[in-house]
Amino acid sequence: MGSMGLTLPWGTRISTVQGEGDSGLATSGLQGKEGAGNSEDLSIAAACLSGDLDGYERLYRWQGTRMKNLARHLLGTQSDAEDAVQETFLKVQRSVASFRGQSSFVTWTFRILVNTCHDLRRSRVRRKENVQAESDELPPSLEPQAAVTHPTLRLALERALVRLTQHQREVFLLYEVEGFRHSEIADLLEISEAASKNTLFQAKKNLRGMLEPPSSRAREAGR
Amino acid sequence: MNITCQERERIFLDGTPDEWAALELHAVACSQCGQELRAWKNLSVAAQEMREEAESPLLWSRIETSLREQAAVGAKTDSLWQRLRNWRPVSIGWQTALAGAMVLALAVSGGYLYTHRGTESGTGTASLLKSPALREVEKSERVYEQAIEHLEAEAKTQLESADSPLVASYREKLMILDGAIDELRIQAGQNPSNAHLRRQLLAMYQEKQQTLQDVLEIKR
Repeated sequence: MGSMGLTLPWGTRISTVQGEGDSGLATSGLQGKEGAGNSEDLSIAAACLSGDLDGYERLYRWQGTRMKNLARHLLGTQSDAEDAVQETFLKVQRSVASFRGQSSFVTWTFRILVNTCHDLRRSRVRRKENVQAESDELPPSLEPQAAVTHPTLRLALERALVRLTQHQREVFLLYEVEGFRHSEIADLLEISEAASKNTLFQAKKNLRGMLEPPSSRAREAGR
Repeated sequence: MNITCQERERIFLDGTPDEWAALELHAVACSQCGQELRAWKNLSVAAQEMREEAESPLLWSRIETSLREQAAVGAKTDSLWQRLRNWRPVSIGWQTALAGAMVLALAVSGGYLYTHRGTESGTGTASLLKSPALREVEKSERVYEQAIEHLEAEAKTQLESADSPLVASYREKLMILDGAIDELRIQAGQNPSNAHLRRQLLAMYQEKQQTLQDVLEIKR
């Protein structure tokens, strides 16, 4: 799946973190650009371990936009996403001493973020006393964002994503939107690399079915 | 490399770059594969568009403030425990007497906690307290505070009148504890549902109660 989007530079799997901070540092995880990414990751991890708040600021400048983006897609609103990112930083500070370097610091941080999003969604469902099982499964539809190059396709995709299983949605967002590699997703979600590939394939196949125009489905059926 | 339509999905799942290139070539002549390939790639294009995000100019300052607060709470607690660990009575004789007094104080504290266990059960494990539980905790804290104030009033004479190094040492310890309790009260007031802060506050109260009981034991 490494060259999935042949119109895009997937070979390098580089995520362009927009906005705040230095987008130049934003490799997908830290294995893509071994030099800069790894050393930045190690340096930030060391700073955070020593209790230096500057380390957290560097982490935020480097990955904050990406964290907010992922949290927004998992939680549905900007405000919930910001709460999740803030809570994630606090959890990182509380548990940084337990970081053993088995994965990159960024991957470890994103694992905390995903778990925090799960917790927030669960507590939100409890607050609303919503007993319908599917309410736990489906996130609310996303808040509208600024117009983009393919607004129709993007909006259709956002709507369709809501109908995927939570696991498929997470893998799709991490790979296709945030630019993580399968090895990183495997680490982050504690699954195998093959499971990550399979889940992405299923997610895209389901999305393809949902986004396919009815006329072409009818044509397929007629053949 | 020649590719057939049957191989398309396998390549979508886990194709090598060479296989993808071969599929592209195949798709030029095969309209169905061409359509599938375009649709598959369009998903990636649309996903890229989802990266765009609204600015949050104030988020970092919010995070920074909460990180500082959390670090301060941690440092303060660590420093207090360090000071308490370093605190020692002056002589072996007094240490022996204190050890006995502390055993007694622990028994009294344990008895107190045992008799009040109904009002505080469950608060220890819940990381985020809910409103009724929070009210219960605050009520118990007030009762506990009042009980300690009574104890403090009883110990006051002893603390003020005696000039022995042991009493001076107790006075210093109580000052440290009062400072820590005030800080924790302020923080708990700002973040009333933080169970960690509540537990720290309870630990401080227990330490103060024990210290006051030790002072009263000297009198006896």
